[in-house]
Amino acid sequence: MANVVAADSLVKWYGPRLAVKDVSFTIEEGEVVGLLGPNGSGKSTILRILTGYLPPSSGSARIAGFDAMEDSLAARASIGYLAEDAPIYSGMRVDEFLHFMARIKGLSGSRANASVAMARERLELDKVAHMAIGKLSRGYRQRVAIAQALLGDPPLLILDEPTNALDAYQVIAVRELIRSLAGQRTVLLASHVLTEIEKIASRVMILVDGMLLTTDAKGQSTNQHRFRLRIAGAPERIIAQLRKVPGVASVEPEQITEAPPVSADGETWRAYIVPVEAENPRRIAEDLAQAVIAGGFPLSELTLLQPDLEQVFLALTKRATPVS
Amino acid sequence: MKTFAALLVKEEKAIFTTPIAYVVIAVFLLIMGYTFTLTLFMSHAASLVHVFFQIYVLFLLTVPIITMRLIAEERRLRTLEVLLTAPVSEVSVILSKYLASMSLIAVMLLLSGAYAITLAIFGQPDWGPIFSGYLGLLLHASALVAVGLLASCLVSNQIVAAVMSLSLFLLLWIIDKLGYLLPDPFNALVVNMSFLVHFRTFATGSLFLSDAGFFISVALLGLFLSIRALGQR
Repeated sequence: MANVVAADSLVKWYGPRLAVKDVSFTIEEGEVVGLLGPNGSGKSTILRILTGYLPPSSGSARIAGFDAMEDSLAARASIGYLAEDAPIYSGMRVDEFLHFMARIKGLSGSRANASVAMARERLELDKVAHMAIGKLSRGYRQRVAIAQALLGDPPLLILDEPTNALDAYQVIAVRELIRSLAGQRTVLLASHVLTEIEKIASRVMILVDGMLLTTDAKGQSTNQHRFRLRIAGAPERIIAQLRKVPGVASVEPEQITEAPPVSADGETWRAYIVPVEAENPRRIAEDLAQAVIAGGFPLSELTLLQPDLEQVFLALTKRATPVS
Repeated sequence: MKTFAALLVKEEKAIFTTPIAYVVIAVFLLIMGYTFTLTLFMSHAASLVHVFFQIYVLFLLTVPIITMRLIAEERRLRTLEVLLTAPVSEVSVILSKYLASMSLIAVMLLLSGAYAITLAIFGQPDWGPIFSGYLGLLLHASALVAVGLLASCLVSNQIVAAVMSLSLFLLLWIIDKLGYLLPDPFNALVVNMSFLVHFRTFATGSLFLSDAGFFISVALLGLFLSIRALGQR
């Protein structure tokens, strides 16, 4: 598939402060990619460089094959952009603003009307279409700003903190909207909310202090794994047995709220979470199974848990933090 | 072209739907009415020379108020990011704001045409100096608006933008006095930087291409630097 976004060694200095440090990544057509990072990590700067609003100090970015700076107008024509904090003209009415944005995006007549109607419908703005933007709640303003990004069906959507200021229902609606675009449009969204990114994006890039730590946190191969085992027997003995396996760092009985089931011979079934550090998790799985059987405990489940984004984020940011 | 038309309509609305435009027009008409009446009753001459000089000074004072918000406000509210991440060129943004501001100037000059009509009804004015005076005022304003726009591009605080352009206008108004004190060839250079020196000929009915060229050059330089300043983000 073709790359819709290609950032190559982007660097951005704000005076003496280095905001973006040699960032390179690509995004393929139809992907929904999340850019995750704490506040002030440089996410918005990268998005502004991609949209041609800020020039990089060095490096280059290509959008739909056009250089974001050299061929900026063509590149911008391929982008629907939601800026951070949804800056929009508060003196305009919602409809007036959407029609204005449609016209400056090159739409006119029936195409502009159809595009505005579609965006209004998708973001449920019909009720406030004739109201002044300045009188809208923060959530509605955010929805108006998202609606303008959708105008003209741009192949690439760049959304900076799209669920900011939205209530729980609106967050779900926007999440569904972005998910529904997967495959048809390419989406790059930035957020500092890990759970948000995890739910929306198919691929997650992590940015800390202007450094891109990974371009695919979900598929990140680490040597940190977690197993879930369901074993019957006395917990103290089971934990002691599992701890004997090389690579096992700790054993945590899974928290349960109701009484655990009891086996036919009177033993209690419990689940245990076992974090391990190993290059090859399959081998550890065999060792764990053998240890349980050697201890004479019945084993009903042995599962390798999928790495969660929180773990990867913590592992990566810990690694990136200089140790004094 | 459609994009430019959309930008121009937006700017016209932004100017004519805010109180600033009407306050500026009201103050302008009040002061000009006073000046026109006073000079007419004192001189009993069908001439607008004094009125033109008064408008010249009023433009120096009011143009910074008209131009201060043009880019500075968009930068402060971050709507500039919305504009310049859409497929819109910096040239279109600057020209639309410039033309919208000039349209307010044109409205003010058109309204002041009432004085010329009054003279035509009650006397026999010499139309040559009146037309040249209006042309001079239009050229003068075109230079001021471009410089005011440049100041608005350079800062994000409207008041700072207004003070910057006002200071520059006042300096260029009286700089010829400084020029007379300087030795040759600096005196000619500094005297020729004065707005007043170039405007005086228009107000008194003389048309010189060099004077028109001065105002047009300042306007073009202001616009060029504004476009460059907007591109530097």
